[in-house]
Order: sequence, then C-alpha cells, then structure tokens
Amino acid sequence: MAKEMKDGSGTVVLSVDGVRKKIGRKWIIDNVTFDVREGEIFGFLGPNGAGKTTTIRMLVDLIRPSEGKITVCGYNVNKDPEKALQYVGSIVENPEVYTYLTGWENLQHFARMQPGVDEARIAEVVDTVRLDQRIHDKVSTYSLGMRQRLGIAQALLGRPRLLILDEPTNGLDPKGIKELREFIRNLADGGLAVFVSSHLLSEIQLLCDRVAIISKGRVLAVGGVDELVARNSPYVLWELEPFDKGRQLLAERPDVILADPAEITLDDSVIAGMGPNSLITIMDDSLIPEIVAVLVMAGVEVRGVHKINPTLEQLFLKLTEGETID
Amino acid sequence: MNDSKWTWRSVSLISIATTLVLITGFGYAVSDVLFPKGDIPLTSLPQATPAPENGAVKSFKVVALGDSLAKGTGDNTGNGYVKNTVAGLAASGVSAELLGNMGINGLTTAGLQNKLKDAGIQYSLRQANVILLSIGGNDLFRGADLLQNGGAGNTPAGSSVGTTGETGTGTKPGTAEGKHSGTGTTPGASGEKETNDLTPESLLAALPEAAERLGKILNTISEINPAARIYYVGLYNPFGDVQEMLVPGNQAVTAWNNAAMDIINRNSKITLVPTFDLFNNHLDKYLSSDHFHPNSDGYKRIGERIVQAIQ
Amino acid sequence: MINLLPLIRNECLKIIKKKRFYVILLILIVLVPMFTYAQMRIAERSRDKFNSDWRLEIQQQITDNENSLGSDRIPEEWKSYRRIFVQQLQYYLDHNVNPNEPSGVTFTRQFLDNSVSLFIPLLIMAIASDLVSGERTTGTIKMLLTRPVRRWKVLFSKMTALLMFVSLIVLSTFIISYLISGLVFGFKGFNVPVFTGFQISGDTVDMSGVHAVPQWKYLLMQGGLIWYVSVVVALLAFMVSVLVRSTAASIVVMMAALIAGTILTNMASAWTTAKYLFMVNLGLTGYLSGTPAPIEGMSLSFSLIVLAIWAAVSVIISFAVFTKRDILN
Repeated sequence: MAKEMKDGSGTVVLSVDGVRKKIGRKWIIDNVTFDVREGEIFGFLGPNGAGKTTTIRMLVDLIRPSEGKITVCGYNVNKDPEKALQYVGSIVENPEVYTYLTGWENLQHFARMQPGVDEARIAEVVDTVRLDQRIHDKVSTYSLGMRQRLGIAQALLGRPRLLILDEPTNGLDPKGIKELREFIRNLADGGLAVFVSSHLLSEIQLLCDRVAIISKGRVLAVGGVDELVARNSPYVLWELEPFDKGRQLLAERPDVILADPAEITLDDSVIAGMGPNSLITIMDDSLIPEIVAVLVMAGVEVRGVHKINPTLEQLFLKLTEGETID
Repeated sequence: MNDSKWTWRSVSLISIATTLVLITGFGYAVSDVLFPKGDIPLTSLPQATPAPENGAVKSFKVVALGDSLAKGTGDNTGNGYVKNTVAGLAASGVSAELLGNMGINGLTTAGLQNKLKDAGIQYSLRQANVILLSIGGNDLFRGADLLQNGGAGNTPAGSSVGTTGETGTGTKPGTAEGKHSGTGTTPGASGEKETNDLTPESLLAALPEAAERLGKILNTISEINPAARIYYVGLYNPFGDVQEMLVPGNQAVTAWNNAAMDIINRNSKITLVPTFDLFNNHLDKYLSSDHFHPNSDGYKRIGERIVQAIQ
Repeated sequence: MINLLPLIRNECLKIIKKKRFYVILLILIVLVPMFTYAQMRIAERSRDKFNSDWRLEIQQQITDNENSLGSDRIPEEWKSYRRIFVQQLQYYLDHNVNPNEPSGVTFTRQFLDNSVSLFIPLLIMAIASDLVSGERTTGTIKMLLTRPVRRWKVLFSKMTALLMFVSLIVLSTFIISYLISGLVFGFKGFNVPVFTGFQISGDTVDMSGVHAVPQWKYLLMQGGLIWYVSVVVALLAFMVSVLVRSTAASIVVMMAALIAGTILTNMASAWTTAKYLFMVNLGLTGYLSGTPAPIEGMSLSFSLIVLAIWAAVSVIISFAVFTKRDILN
C-alpha cells in the first residue's frame, strides 16, 4: 500500500517534493520539499503571506502545483485524489462547516463522502472532541471553539493517517489552546502524522517535533525544533549595579558579545522593561551561572538576569542572513 | 437520521416521477407542435336559437354596429352615441345594458356586409333586442377617413396607444392629434388635398351602390334577429363649414338619407334616427376637432334622439 | 470509490435544509393568490359588462382589436400580432369554445403561459445561482473538495440535485396555482377543449393543423415545455454559479440576462440575430398556444435547438472550469 520509507523515526506519510506554483507571472511557491512521518507533529512556520496556506491547499488538492509532486501514503494527491485524500483529514484556514445544518448532519454529510464511515464512527468522533452535548444543535448556534472542534471531528472522521491543521489556535483562548495542544499530542502519540501551520514560533516550539520554515515561498530550513532553536544563541538581559563595571567585565569575556539594542530585533515588551542599568548580551545560556559568579565576586550586584528566547524574526534574520521579513 | 432519510426518499421519488411525467409531456408537446394533425374540430357553431323574447319586461339589450360613429370616434369622453343611448335609457328608469359595440373605424357598407357573415357578430346580434346601426358615411366621404388618419400620422403618435388594449380610450389621443391638422392652423398640404378630392360628383357616384348595400344590410340584420328593433342613425354633412362643399355635401347626404328612408319604411322594426338637422348650421358646436366626427356634445344629442326614438 | 447516490443525497438535503425550496413555495403561496384575485376581478368585470356571455366578450375583443388594426399609430409588429390574435379568437368563437373558460385549470394554464419566460426562471435561479457560489461564499467548498471524491462527481451530484428540484419547482407551481385558483374558480375544467396547432406564417394563421386537445393534456404538454426551459435556465444559472464567486453576483448576472430577454422579446423583430440568444427563446409555450414568436424565423425546433446548445455549452464550461480551477479562497 504505502511506500515504506523508513527514515529513522517512522514511515513517511506525506512527501512534498520540489513543489512550485506559479500564479500569473509570479512564483508564489518556489521549491518546497519536506517529509512528514507518522507519529510526529510537523510544524510549518512562516509569516503571513509566506505561502503557508497555498502550500496547504496544494496538499489537499485545492490547488494544483505547477511543478513537483505531493504524495500521501504513496498516492499522488493531484493524480489520484480519491485514494490519497482518503488518508487525509484537514482544516484549511477556518473550519467552515454548513451553519444551517446541525453538527451531526454536517458529520453525516462528510461521512457520505468517504468510504467506511458509519454512524458508530460519527458517534465515536463526536465523543473524541467532546461535542456530544450540542451535536444535534444547528452549527449557527455554536461558539468558535465548538466549530473548531467540529472541524477537527470531521477531519478525523475517515480515520486519517495525516491530519492537516492550518493555524489551529487562531481565535482560541489560552485555555482552548492548551487543550488543543494536548489533544494534538495525544493524536500523534496514537500514530497519526500531524501537520500544523503557524506564524508563531512559540506555538511551534511548544507543539511540534520537527519544523519547516517558509518565507516568500521558499523553505529556508527543515529540522528538529530544538535543533533549530539551539542554532540561535539566546539573548540575555542583564541588570547590573554598578553598571559600568559590570559592563566592562562582560565585555572582557570572549564568549559573550555585547549587543546594541538598536540593532537587534526584540519584542516591544522587552525593550519597555529595560531599565537604565540594563544591557543585552548574545551568549550561550549555559554560561549564566558562571558569569553571575564572576560578577558577584568582582563586587557587581546582579539585580536581574533574563533569558530572552529568540523570536521568529530572529530566527529568520539568522536563516536569511539579514534579509528582513515583510 | 430518520427524518432526513424520509425527506431524501420522498424528494427523490417525487422528483423522479415528476421528471418522467414532464418528459412525457415534453414529448407530446414537441410532436404536437411539429406535426400537428389537424382533425377538423367537432364544429359546434354557436347556437342558432334567437334570444328569448321578453316582451313584457322592458329591458333593453343593446348591440351597436357600424362605423366610427358607432365606435364613438371624436368623443373625448369615450362614450359615443352608443353609451349615451344606454345611459339615457337607464336614466329614464328602464333597465338597459350594452352587450357589445361592434363599431369599427372606417367601416363601409361593403365591409359591414362581410362582418355580418361572422358567426360571432350574428351571435351578438341575436342576443340583443335593440340594435343601433350607423353606416354609410365612409362610402360617401371616402377621403374623410384618410383625412383623419393622415392627421394622426403627421404627428408621432403617443406610444401608449399601441400598448393599451382598450381601443375605446386608445382613439382619444388620435382624435386629439387630428385636431391639429384638421383645424387648418397648420396649412397641412395633405389635409388640403384630400378635401379637394371630394367633389360633388364623387360624393354622388358612390351613392346608388352603397344604398343598395344598406338595404341588404338592414335585411340581413332583421333576418338574423327578427325580434330586435333596429335604429339606423342617419348621416349629417360634416363639410358644411367648407364653402365649396356645403351644397354638394348637403345634397349627397340628403339623397342618402332619403334612400335610407325608402328602405326603412318597408320594415316596421327599423327606425331612422335623423341627425342632418341636428348638425346643420351647428357644426362648430357639435363637430370634433377633426371636422368629421361629432364631439362629445354631438354624440350626446344623437343619443338623446335615439332614446326618444326607442321610447 | 464513492458512489454518486450519497453525494446527490447530500446536495438535496443541503438545498432542503437551506430552506431555498421553502422560500420558493412561499413565494408561490404569496403571489398566486394575488394573480388569482386580479383574474377574479377581470372575470367579475366582464361578467357585469357582457351579461356573463363569453361569446359577446370575445366578439367585443375581436372588434376592439380590429379597430386598432386600422390605426396607423400602431407599429406593424403589433398589428400582425393582433391580426393573428383576432384570427385565433375568431376560431374559438366560430367553434363555440371559450378560450378563457373560468376554472382553476384554465387559470393554471394561463398563469403558466405567462410565467414561463420570467417568473419560473427566477424561481429556478433561487436554487441554481447559489449551488456552487454559495459554497464558495461560505468557504465550505474547501471542505467539500478535500474529500476523497473526484471533482466532477461533486459537480455532477450538484447538477443532478438541481435538476431534481427543477422538476419539483415546476410541479409545485402547477399544484399551488391549481389549488389556490381552484378555490376561487372551481377545480373542474380538465376536459375543456383547448385549440392548438395554429401555424403562423407572417401575419396569417394556417388553421389546417388546428385541433382540440383536452385541457389536462394541454397542461401536460405545457409542463413538458416549461420543464425544458427550466432545465436550460437551471444549467445556465449553474454555470454562472460556478464561474462567479458570490451568490449575489451570480443572481444579478442571470437576472440581468432574463430581464434583457423580456425587453428584447417586446422590442423584437428588427434585430433578427437576437433570436440566437437564449433569453428570447424561453417562451416555448407560445408555440403551443399559437402566440407569434417574437422574432421572424423562430420556430419550436429552432428554439429547442438554440436552448439545447446554450445548455450543452454551459454544462461543458461548468465541468471544465470546476474540475481544473484552483480554489484560492
């Protein structure tokens, strides 16, 4: 059935190979390649307008790639959608279901469109997303969170091997986001391959095992999330007293770089929190205890040390070597 | 769920059945229109039984027949002498209703003879007990019809005329247009010419044959409905205000009316309603602006005369 | 491999649950009584005027039309129309058949004659214009097309559901107008003869093919022709719905075309190539009743072929576009 392509961590469920898409005269997607394996949560990270949604639409045959090949469980999505899409459950952008039908009728509707889904399966899925209380109400009365869950329910109906979620946390409150994260993790633990797109690095960091970073239609990097983040030394913000002495001590160390706040990209909240005696360094965070000791020994009072995780912007700066995102 | 299953079943069954029926109908329709098999229909002519004679009850059932006068052309109230007559009868306390007005603009005696062959016209006549007839004017003043139509043709007609089905009201704008060319304020070449065509000779030339046809017409009508009373509206001279036409016109009209009188005297059911004296010397008062047809006052007077004749 | 039947069922249920069909029924239930009332007033007036004798009324109608024939003010096309009309009335009168025998059946027949080129197409549009563009407007098209089902099957199921509802709409129009007008005019009249087979050439009518048909059969034939027109309009509206992203735009496009059709039909004649437009060919029932075609050179077979070509082209375009197009939003 599916082509077995053992790659260390599992079977490749989704394979995107050299996909390009031209709309008008412009290459909207230019050479996207990655694999998603079973049991893993794969993040697709990029700013808005980078081509995330276009790529996702190509994965589910809403848009046909101009070049390249997309296969799901070995079947070409564009040439053999009846077979390939059988293994895919997806929510593209928002979960847009029929608001004039009840939740149950929606699920029945989609169930009729794929083989092997019976009423028992519908009930099972409804149970999984915990919509059983309201499933016979019209969708127009549902809250956004409930619609999201109904969307997931329809995506799970056909027992997919690949779940595609486009910005799944959009519009959810923090509690909902947390629940969703746990839910997705559970699904992946059950062997499902999950493909999640997001423009928030933090979300990808919290959720995903591996990530592809896309900008302007190109995949800049693919790899483990930790590995990618680790490539970027974090910023460390110091608050020292006396400031000048502390600054001098830090500047003397070869493993610490003093950063000019004007030249690095930081969250506004971080900049606002910077007092007059603060400075920012670029260094390995494992050095913090040692440096604190050195400073204290030298009589410099360390009033605060903050590790600032790199932002998506920083990651991009690093990956694109200075090319800004817009 | 069960509900949707039931809906689906009934919707699909009904729609499939309906579609089949409609396709059958479509087949019938196409073959029927493309290959009409004209079976000469079971010709059931309108019943030949005359209207029941109710002699005791004085209830008038009026049918009008004839030319533009019957139709009421020139009357901007749209009544004509027909409606005036019915209204006059009703006002005098007897019940009277108009069953139909078969007046057709420009109808001549020859045209009316053809009309009388129509089963529908015959049927209408049979239902009546009072038949109003005016005919002959177009035989005598052949040019007059042209005059009227020419007048209307000069000015672009109001488009509303074409769309209204009610011809009774539809003629009104026409006569109003006729006014402009007819009054002679614009030296309309066409109006001039047609008046010139009317010579005393031409007026009299048509008379003998037309009078003969009138006789036949009156006979036919009384054959169709022997029970009804027939009122023939005599002619007047519409050209009394045209100097060179006054005398020949008067002569021709008088000759016609005399001829009519001759025929009518032979049948007690027919009455001649004279109008010559009514209009003579009062043309400015009773003639409409087309200088041919009566105006609403003129028609009123004719109506009054007919009412008098009926009672 | 997914069977087509469940897909068609989905589409039918969506049409029903979206209450489009109820809206159509509601429109009929509101409007038909209005037309019935108007017809009742006309009947009352003529009863007063003509002593309840339809023959007198028809004779008067003939005379009135003849009068307008004499007038130069009336355009020639109108005259030839009236000349034909007079000849037909005369035929009815000569054979002692009342063309307007007041009954629910006659009302239905006349109502349908009048609604074939605009009213029924509008009802059809209420469903057809929304079928694809509605899913695009709400975004549900993405859900629909990410199933393991080929796109042509999705479109085919929608089209089939549409055709099913076309039949239902035609049927409902018949039933509702019969039931409502029957309350006023009586439910009898299925066997009253109606003349058909008038062959019009120029402004004379060839009566050789005329024959009487019982009114029920006439209604059946009329229903068949209306169904054909409705299917064509449905397929056209369906194509527009595939091509245009919003339902509103889709309705406006079709409505403009239909209304342009009625205007062109009335202006008629002078521009003869207009006869190749679908909207002037919608009055198919006119060929049955013997109403002259709006443009010289039109006949039933001509209109059927023109409509069939339009329908076929729109089906081809619908499928070609729908199966190839990228769903960008």
